[in-house]
Amino acid sequence: MTTAEQPEIQVYDEKTLPDWQRISPIAIVYFIASFIKGLLSNIVVFLPALYFSSDFIMENPTIWFPVIIALISILMIGTFLSFYFFQYRLNDDHIEIRSGVISKKHINLPFARIQNVKLEQPIYYRWFNYTCLQLDTAGSAKQEAKIVALKTDFAEQLKAEILAQHLEQVSSSAKQSDCDETVDQLLNNQSRPAEEIINTRSIPDLIIHGLTNNRIWIFLGGLAPFFDDFSNYIVAFFQNIGIDIQQLLTIADMPVWQITLYALTLTFIFLSIISLFSIAGSIFTFYQYTLSKLEDRYIRRSGLLTKHEVTMRLSRLQMVIRQQDWLDVLLKRINLKFEQINVSVNQNQMNAQNDKIIVPSIKPNECEKLIDDVYPENQMMTITYQRISKRFLLKNLGFILTPLFSVLALLFIISNQLIILTAVLPAYLLLSLLIFMRWYRWGYASDKNYTYIRKGFFGVDYFCFPTYKTQQVQYKQSWFLKRHQLCSINFILAAGMQSVPYINEKIGESLANDTLLKVESTKKSWM
Amino acid sequence: MTIQGTVELENTSQESSEFSNKPLIDEASPSLQHLIYQPLAPIYLKVRRRFTLFSTAAILLVMFICQKQHFFPLPPQILNIISYLILAIGLIGTIRYLYIIIADKKKFFALREQDITYRSGVVFQKTVTQPILRIQHVELKRGPLERKFGLACLQLFSAGGAAHTFEVSGLLLENAESMRQFILDHKTISSN
Repeated sequence: MTTAEQPEIQVYDEKTLPDWQRISPIAIVYFIASFIKGLLSNIVVFLPALYFSSDFIMENPTIWFPVIIALISILMIGTFLSFYFFQYRLNDDHIEIRSGVISKKHINLPFARIQNVKLEQPIYYRWFNYTCLQLDTAGSAKQEAKIVALKTDFAEQLKAEILAQHLEQVSSSAKQSDCDETVDQLLNNQSRPAEEIINTRSIPDLIIHGLTNNRIWIFLGGLAPFFDDFSNYIVAFFQNIGIDIQQLLTIADMPVWQITLYALTLTFIFLSIISLFSIAGSIFTFYQYTLSKLEDRYIRRSGLLTKHEVTMRLSRLQMVIRQQDWLDVLLKRINLKFEQINVSVNQNQMNAQNDKIIVPSIKPNECEKLIDDVYPENQMMTITYQRISKRFLLKNLGFILTPLFSVLALLFIISNQLIILTAVLPAYLLLSLLIFMRWYRWGYASDKNYTYIRKGFFGVDYFCFPTYKTQQVQYKQSWFLKRHQLCSINFILAAGMQSVPYINEKIGESLANDTLLKVESTKKSWM
Repeated sequence: MTIQGTVELENTSQESSEFSNKPLIDEASPSLQHLIYQPLAPIYLKVRRRFTLFSTAAILLVMFICQKQHFFPLPPQILNIISYLILAIGLIGTIRYLYIIIADKKKFFALREQDITYRSGVVFQKTVTQPILRIQHVELKRGPLERKFGLACLQLFSAGGAAHTFEVSGLLLENAESMRQFILDHKTISSN
């Protein structure tokens, strides 16, 4: 839209609207949809009421009609009122939103405070070319503002305007510094944006992603109300094809090989169903995935039904996570996550997933290119990681797991229940292996700009953050650790806590001192 | 009452562009190991000990009265439970009292030009350092007891989240206020 400088000025005039504006009536559809969504996710609360009143309803079938009419009219009036009372206003550098029917809400948000601009286009908006504009602040989740229905063009303009405001602010606050020129350049570039797509994901990639990462919760969230029906249906289905699950599971008088076979078959069926759902979930979220770069902004677009667009400025990036589960390690795929400030702690996982900039199941070379792009001069894959102390093994294996197992084993031997012992032994070995792998993977490193942490079990995750982005440093030492000159270090970042346990206390001290020095001497802002 | 030395708070680094992070009491190298720690206000330790003692005693008294009163005769099982409860609460109260005596003496804080550090813990010692540059806002919290004895609790919020709020309780009000002012006047805050 904003291709030359003249329209830019026009946009500005158009934007300075002193009066309260209503959104398009199409927002009613949005309100209805979100009401139904809310109803479905809270259906557990209503179910007992429905159940107890079902007899009454059955006896008086005529009551259905007025009840349904009443419900629908309440829904209609409610959503219309939500639409009617939803107003927004734009000043030079403020956005104000008034909403709410009974409990009124008034948000006044300076553009400079906006962390993140997100566009969300539900499927029913697509034909009318509308979109939702969501503005996140650095503060609490309560302060989030969402303009429910805007013309896509206008939303794009507004987004550009808000992000441009940032640059102006930066330039005005950094007058004395020499980065003034580059900021001006950025501002000029603003008028002729050239977005560069730096990554896309194809359907096969998404299938791999679905297989390696359990995306089933996307369905579990939506399907929760239908679980009972679903499980009944499965039992009925198996009965139809001649298998009685009820009977299958009465294992008392069956030979062991048969039980094992059944267990294996059931597990296999269960796993394949889960993977299918997971693949579908992955496609729902990441369909037509693109990651593009526009100056200092990274933009993620994806979604099959509801299209999401998340924009992140590079300065907002707190940490990069290179994640590989064990299956990813085998398939040589990586999930790359760009972590921002973690405000959405209480939100459910599904929303959090949509908010994040994640690049699903990419190949190592692509991953390296992306990491180098955001954090130049990083040595995530080349630096030597220092492993944490072997005392970690001693404590977890020697002082916790093995004594516990020995006591249990002794109990079972005394009470002559060797069958249970055969079940506990593999569990013990597996846990030991897990602890060993945990120790084997856990490492840390740092160079002049970044701190690196490596973690994982069979998979391996690499964390990398610019050291100066640390919010707080914690140095921990228990009696046990002190005796062996060991300590633990926690780095508190805006994106969460990262810890390095069981390292030499001298190294820990210097890590803490070094981190503090970098934070305090560079005086760089974390956002 | 002010046995605890008042903290000398001046933004010495106001003009200089060079980095320095000296402790605000004495000269030392900018390393966490050479921090000069200050204990919490002695009156706070005293108030806390007494409060634990009195609150435990009050609960025990209420339960004792419940057990011995004749206005509402209680069934014998409940009386039984109450006597066990009295035993348990008495035990917990004593342990807590002893623990507080030891633990509160292990709580220290240290203020430097660029950061503030709080150390605590008996078995698990924890040293938290909060760079002033990263502080988003400052709060002084004062409950009824703290108001009565001129104490305050200093809370520093960073973007690290509510779970990692830096908190020093048991400061003398004047100390806490001057620390708050020092943080607010810190030149890095305004530009952040």
